[in-house]
Amino acid sequence: MEKYDVAIIGGGSAGLAALKQLSHLGKQAILLEAGSKIGSKNLSGGILYSKKPKKGQITNVEQLYENFLDDAPIERKITKYILHSTSQDKVYSMDLTAAHDYQANFGYSVLLSKLNSWFAKQAEKAADKLGGGIIPGVHVKSITWNEQNGTSIIQTDELDEFEVKAIIAADGVNSEVAEMVGARKKFTPEQLFQGVKVIVKLPEDIINKRFGVSSDEGAAHLFAGDVTLNHIGGGFLYTNNDTISVGAVYHFDSQISNPTTPYSLIDTLLKNPMVSEFIKDDVPIKPEIDKNLPQEEQLRIRFAVAKLIKNWYEIREASLSSSGRDSLINSGKYKTVEEIQKSLSTLQEQMTEKFSLTFGTDYLEDEYGAKLVPDGKRCQMKKPYFKNILFVGDAAGRGVFVGPRIEGINVGIDDGVRAANAVARALDNDNFSENSLGEYYSKSVDESPFTTDMKQIDKDYLKIFLDAAKDVPKDIIGSRYGPILKMMSSGTMRGIAVKFANILGYDKLLPMIESEDTYVKVPIKLAERLGETVLSSYSPSIPSIADRIANLNYNDDSLAHIKVVNPTSEYMKKMVTLCPTKCYSEEGGKVIIQHEGCIDCGTCSQETEWRHPRGEKGIHYKYG
Amino acid sequence: MVVILSEPLNIAVIIKLEPDFSEGNVSYNPNGTLNRAETKNTLGPHSAIAAHAAFFGRVMYDAKVSIGTMGPPIADLALKQAQQISDAGELHLYSDRLFAGADTLGTAEVLRVGIGKMQGKMDIVFSGHRASDGETGQTGPQTAWKLGFTFLGNVISYSVDLETRMIRAKRLISLQGSSNVIEEVEAPLPVFISIDPTYKSSYNTVSQRLAFQKYQKEATQRADNYKDYFKIFNAKELGVDETLVGLPGSPTIVYKVERVPKSTATRQSEVIDGSDPEQIRKVVAKMKEALAAMVIK
Ligand SMILES: Cc1cc2nc3c(=O)[nH]c(=O)nc-3n(C[C@H](O)[C@H](O)[C@H](O)COP(=O)(O)OP(=O)(O)OC[C@H]3O[C@@H](n4cnc5c(N)ncnc54)[C@H](O)[C@@H]3O)c2cc1C
Ligand code: SF4
Repeated sequence: MEKYDVAIIGGGSAGLAALKQLSHLGKQAILLEAGSKIGSKNLSGGILYSKKPKKGQITNVEQLYENFLDDAPIERKITKYILHSTSQDKVYSMDLTAAHDYQANFGYSVLLSKLNSWFAKQAEKAADKLGGGIIPGVHVKSITWNEQNGTSIIQTDELDEFEVKAIIAADGVNSEVAEMVGARKKFTPEQLFQGVKVIVKLPEDIINKRFGVSSDEGAAHLFAGDVTLNHIGGGFLYTNNDTISVGAVYHFDSQISNPTTPYSLIDTLLKNPMVSEFIKDDVPIKPEIDKNLPQEEQLRIRFAVAKLIKNWYEIREASLSSSGRDSLINSGKYKTVEEIQKSLSTLQEQMTEKFSLTFGTDYLEDEYGAKLVPDGKRCQMKKPYFKNILFVGDAAGRGVFVGPRIEGINVGIDDGVRAANAVARALDNDNFSENSLGEYYSKSVDESPFTTDMKQIDKDYLKIFLDAAKDVPKDIIGSRYGPILKMMSSGTMRGIAVKFANILGYDKLLPMIESEDTYVKVPIKLAERLGETVLSSYSPSIPSIADRIANLNYNDDSLAHIKVVNPTSEYMKKMVTLCPTKCYSEEGGKVIIQHEGCIDCGTCSQETEWRHPRGEKGIHYKYG
Repeated sequence: MVVILSEPLNIAVIIKLEPDFSEGNVSYNPNGTLNRAETKNTLGPHSAIAAHAAFFGRVMYDAKVSIGTMGPPIADLALKQAQQISDAGELHLYSDRLFAGADTLGTAEVLRVGIGKMQGKMDIVFSGHRASDGETGQTGPQTAWKLGFTFLGNVISYSVDLETRMIRAKRLISLQGSSNVIEEVEAPLPVFISIDPTYKSSYNTVSQRLAFQKYQKEATQRADNYKDYFKIFNAKELGVDETLVGLPGSPTIVYKVERVPKSTATRQSEVIDGSDPEQIRKVVAKMKEALAAMVIK
């Protein structure tokens, strides 16, 4: 049997950070990732933060990857952070850039498929030299222990079994490792959010102009109010380089008690006039092909139109981006920007004249995705270890979600480094016991400022919201928050109140803050009373869920990775509505699954025998 | 202890640039024939499988891979793509007006001479099953015959014993009317392998996967600088016998190409709305009916 020092299971940002740090410390490690390519299974909003906490040490992304700011495929540095309260066509906006900037070095919009693949390249370079590396396309299915020497034997669906001294479990929110070894129970709906997201294409220049930013700056817009369809949660819209991420994150228990299809949540957001206007673009409209023409002619036209549209998108996208223009000119195809524009308009004329193609206003969606997100405040593992296994990132239930603060990627990276440090120390001491390895890591995690943030209210962070809301009439905020606000607006009182609140405990206060009032009722009132009217010039043609699924990239697994245990349970019946890709249906009172469209989101995991698909199988995100 | 250092393995792959038939890349003339000028080209899908099989040798046996193709100057694109798959250290393009009009035999002669020009004595030559733009699957066997190598067709997997210089290969044999058979054969090197379309390399241990990753990265680096590995040969540089290549070397005469007439459909089709369970039930009922009428032995 082959033997290695350390195995990292899962190649998301957290696992990759562990590999990078272990290699940096000169320790051999192999990382196993189920997806056929690193990044293909990861999904985020997302903004990646680098933080400077008041107290305590963390490892930020640019410290772990020294060339991050120069080389990494990051999208835009977020410089505007705005919260919108919505009610139909009324929008009331509040600038929360100060909250975004709070204790932050920066926050970049990122797309995980690209970013994780870059992390992997960096980590692999160092790991190679030590006889380790990254192995994609491998799904870990069981872990056992050699009773004599305590080493772990890892079994996968693809490879011969092998032996390791320590394991870092970075297998995400639906961690099979945690479940198979019994380190923790599956997270409950109260401990989770359901996140759903689409990627919209939009050329760089248009983004710059529309959002009032330069090419390396970006904007983040958050949404609450009627767009939530009465759920506790909200929507987001982040600008990337030449795409936009539009998504929604909802408390999963709110979804369980009042199931709404995830795609209608995102559709409602897309139909909000402000969002519609943000994402609109010129699009070619395919002509109807005359069905009376001979079949061959119809086919010829179809192919010719497809080719012209493809060319048009390529040239247009390049002509509306600084790097695109440069590369077209450098390639020698065109001499000047004017020449590019001229060829685009010639192409456009050709399309209209030859094939009666027209152009209109719409938006172009390129990817749909969904995933569960652990609410760190409610579910982080108290002891994030089991025997010689350390849990990091989403697998350990970590992630700071406080109001508009959404941080999972950076927390996972910091965890990964902590776990790597603990494992390196264990290798030096040749001691992989819970008392030594596990406790050392657990203590390090406890000392993390992120852990503190999940347990305590930070009065300075709170003040930002109070300042932002100072113009809001008190009667809108209502009887519920009135007295609190009053108390909080005075400096001394706020200190006392926060201390008192922290003694009472975050968990007791959460239900009050994370309520329908906060996310739905108050924002609706705000929009109605103070909002401005925003009108949209078109109505977006939103793809059906079937079209969205058809546009995703799958490698079908003939074996089902999910088994329904109780087809008549109330929970499973809700899955018919809550599965983001409609894998469930009900027939004769029984819920049945068709696993082929599954995107591994985990929504149904609570009451199913749930596994990730085998290596290389299942969903493959282009953006993530 | 005596360590016997076995001779390294040399692998050649012969590939072909073909039209890209995917939507958005392909163009047709009004008469329904392929518009070659407007259609993009790419490495043929069967050639790509042959390149994968060569890469297996690279990963498992640290083999040296060379690739050759006969075609127009733009065929360097196919060589680059095949290098990205196979991590080849040598790319050959055989290009000359004299080669025009060659049938499979004329092509095989160029490839035979080209393979002879590659570095090292070849142990295995891979070719794709066939080309997708109208070639008949004979180039491979004819090149094998000209090289005097043992020919193994429809190979779905292989392993090499470097010391005894023997190859073991599994071949997929389709028999008409009954199920397929997998034949396992053993042969001394050198051999010529035409790879089956269903071939898929499998790497079953952590160390093999790590090696796979290592060579794959090397392949990307090499393909990014493919010109450093690239050599173009004309007829003279190859030193081919001009009577054996191009039109003179091609005995096949294509005197007419006929389009296969479409038979009129005798079946009746009906479009079913998949979202309507009632309609699906009808389909199931029909399938049951059809199955009941069949005798299953
Ligand atoms: C809609 C949405 C918006 C979000 N917005 C933000 C944001 O703006 N900012 C932010 O910081 N965070 C955000 N998050 C959270 C953030 O995306 C996650 O916290 C983070 O990506 C988790 O990283 P991870 O490495 O822990 O897990 P993952 O990225 O889930 O990686 C786990 C990996 O393990 C692999 N794996 C699983 N099981 C196995 C197995 N058995 N064998 C082998 N491999 C396996 C999976 O294929 C996967 O690649 C958001 C999340 C969502 C869903
Ligand atoms: S089947 Fe389950 S895991 Fe898969 S997409 Fe649907 S809810 Fe998510």
